[in-house]
Amino acid sequence: MPELSIQLQGVSLCYRLAKQRIPSFKEYAIHFLRGSLSYEQLWALRDIDLKVAKGETLGIVGRNGAGKSTLLKVISRVLKPTQGSTAIRGNLAPILELGSGFDYELTGLENVYLNALLLGHSRRDIETRVEDIIDFSGLGDFIRAPLRNYSSGMQARLGFAVATAWVPDILILDEVLAVGDATFTAKCEERLRRFHDAGSTVILVSHSPKAVLDNCSRCLWLDDGRLRADGESAKVLDLYLRQHGTDPGEHEAGKLRTPP
Amino acid sequence: MIEIYRYRDLVLALVARELKVRYRRSAIGFTWTMLQPLLMMLVLQVVFSSLFRFQLANYPVYAMAGILFWNFFSQSIVSSMNSLRGNAQLLKKVPVPKAVFPISTVASGVINLIFALVPLLLILVITGHPLTPALLFLPVAILLAALFTLGAGLLLSPLSMFFNDIVEMITVLLSVLMYLTPIFYPKEIVPEKMRWIVRFNPLRSILEVFRDPIYYGKVPPWSHLTVSCLIVLVALAVGAYAFRKSSDRIPFYI
Repeated sequence: MPELSIQLQGVSLCYRLAKQRIPSFKEYAIHFLRGSLSYEQLWALRDIDLKVAKGETLGIVGRNGAGKSTLLKVISRVLKPTQGSTAIRGNLAPILELGSGFDYELTGLENVYLNALLLGHSRRDIETRVEDIIDFSGLGDFIRAPLRNYSSGMQARLGFAVATAWVPDILILDEVLAVGDATFTAKCEERLRRFHDAGSTVILVSHSPKAVLDNCSRCLWLDDGRLRADGESAKVLDLYLRQHGTDPGEHEAGKLRTPP
Repeated sequence: MIEIYRYRDLVLALVARELKVRYRRSAIGFTWTMLQPLLMMLVLQVVFSSLFRFQLANYPVYAMAGILFWNFFSQSIVSSMNSLRGNAQLLKKVPVPKAVFPISTVASGVINLIFALVPLLLILVITGHPLTPALLFLPVAILLAALFTLGAGLLLSPLSMFFNDIVEMITVLLSVLMYLTPIFYPKEIVPEKMRWIVRFNPLRSILEVFRDPIYYGKVPPWSHLTVSCLIVLVALAVGAYAFRKSSDRIPFYI
């Protein structure tokens, strides 16, 4: 049995949505006294069992709202599951969304520090890597400009450069490779391979079958919060694409067959 | 707690950012920190020397020490409640220990308090108040005040995520608390019947630890210090426990 890096057991996560939004304490008290507090439960993840060995590269596919991002948030300890247990070993480098943790008024360089500090690195640690980070991001003189002037591609480059400046035990990427240009995507994939060789676990959410196929040996298919398939990337993607084809015509046909 | 220690550089950066914003945005930001308590003290001096008669020598020093303490406490509570809301987007996406935000808010409050001590020392000198070695006890007093405030901030700040009118409610409660604490009046003027309120007000204990060295020129007696340390420990324990309990729910309310 290889060393486990991530283990989820019976993980379910429920977003409790108030039927009427109750944002204030005053309204909450009124509704509470009337006994009219009601919630709608939205189960974003249902009973997920998952074991990921150290050094595995795992892709996650699924339609919008299938629970992919929620699963990544559970793995990166941002959200605590409603039920079930999680065991995550090692340090994380999560990139859950473009520009998470960026301050748009600060310059790129100041954001490098802020972002790396948020990831739990010490100032001295950052100083030794800052040159590499700027170099990898390829932003050149833009690094001294405020972040609000950056395009989304530039933000992605900077975010990726900071998060991957240290070899993590677990790297988590949510749909970030898609926004960069081809050269940068190639650079990112090269870095992913290097991490893989160094023994990091990589988890990648993507809507691009090619990105999953190129970077991941194993793939999960999430559907409505449940694990629909788990296995070799080529096989799972084949199943997935057969149901939700990339071809629009096929997609329509698939939709028609599903009862409303 | 160990995790927070790992993020100490982040706390420092957040404090630096908060101070920079405060002092860069307004040209007189820095002066304002010092001027505001001075003006407040003048108002109190006028009101209380002509309307009410206290048996207090050198009232300006008494009042100003109280104001500095109160400003630190109430501003830190309100901004630590806002600190979680202000960083809501971040809490949803980055696995960072959430306590770093209230902690760095209280820490920058301490720095503001230290700046504001400058005009207080000026008043001490101008009014000819004796400068005693007891003033050297102030760092300990400030530390106790900071830890007590941190406890209260940790307890209250998660509430601001759950309800968006809670900050206003706390502001009202704070102004009630201000009148229940002998900030600008001597506790002796409180009628016998109501004195228990002042007596059992934990904030009064912490305030006196801060004011005794400044106004009376003495280090608070051991008995008082022991009680104050216990209050601080209880506040921290309750705050840390409540924050831990509720922090997992915070991202769901963004």
